[in-house]
Amino acid sequence: MIVRILTEGQYRLPGSFIDQLNEVDNKIVDVVEQEDETGFQKLLIEMLDLVRNNGTEVGMDELVESDIVLPEPDITLIEAEELFTGEGIVPG
Amino acid sequence: MGILARTSTLMRAKMNRLLDRAENPSETLDVAYDKQIEMLRNVKRGVVEMVSTKRRLELQAGKVQDNISKLDAQARQAMDMGREDMARLALERKQHAITELQDLDQQISGLELEQEKLTKAEQRLQAKVQAFRTKKEIIKAQYKAAQAQVRIGSALSGISEEMGDITLSVERAEDKTEALRAKSGAIDELAESGVLNMDIDGKDDISRELDKLSANAEVENELAALKASVSEKKSLPEGQS
Repeated sequence: MIVRILTEGQYRLPGSFIDQLNEVDNKIVDVVEQEDETGFQKLLIEMLDLVRNNGTEVGMDELVESDIVLPEPDITLIEAEELFTGEGIVPG
Repeated sequence: MGILARTSTLMRAKMNRLLDRAENPSETLDVAYDKQIEMLRNVKRGVVEMVSTKRRLELQAGKVQDNISKLDAQARQAMDMGREDMARLALERKQHAITELQDLDQQISGLELEQEKLTKAEQRLQAKVQAFRTKKEIIKAQYKAAQAQVRIGSALSGISEEMGDITLSVERAEDKTEALRAKSGAIDELAESGVLNMDIDGKDDISRELDKLSANAEVENELAALKASVSEKKSLPEGQS
């Protein structure tokens, strides 16, 4: 699958990593709720590194749509909170 | 819904706006390409602006550095003249200038980081736009073929996502540069009106008082060192130094 890290670029990641990604994703929901900045940054890096270390970069001259989009590496907890409460995004 | 789903939704929302005009395929490709060129120009402009903001900050830092040397010389001069009060004032100002310089240096390296990121984004976009142009011409040439429509779709969504992402990169870089520029503008204004130092740092009373105390200690230390070197000079016989 194609994974994009916002403002960084796209990676090809074996589909088998989706479970691990979802696992970290769920933990992120919790720390954002608890407004735990340290925990948030730690999990964010964990999530991004999962893609960076196990994926291969999509070529500069390739045009492909992503299956999954990860937040930008310098996103703050506050910005993440805004993302969760932001307009136009249906709460799940 | 987790952060993955939310960022993906956000991305798709940004993309859809770019794909709005996708009606006549051939025309759409050209319109999309024009948009890409325009965006590439914007990103390049963003990099140029960032470089000039950085240069401005570097100039400011240079001025502050000069100021530090000047104040240092003034303090020595004042002490030579036996004016401890004036020397103290100069050293106090020097301490403020040093803090200011550290602040500026920090801003400059922050800006360098942003510049690096945006330059990378520019290179990426440049490559993607080139790839799109090639693909566009191929698709146009084979337009009668049944799969052309599908190919247009995938090329467009790929580039649209890229453009959406670059938009985000540029927005973030601009926000950060704007914040730095506002701060450096404030320093300029204060320098001009002669009320330089303090209160622009947003610190509370206590931390400011603490800063002052430690700055005082620095001043006292330097003052003592100066005193020592002056009295040493005086105690030497004539003709030596």
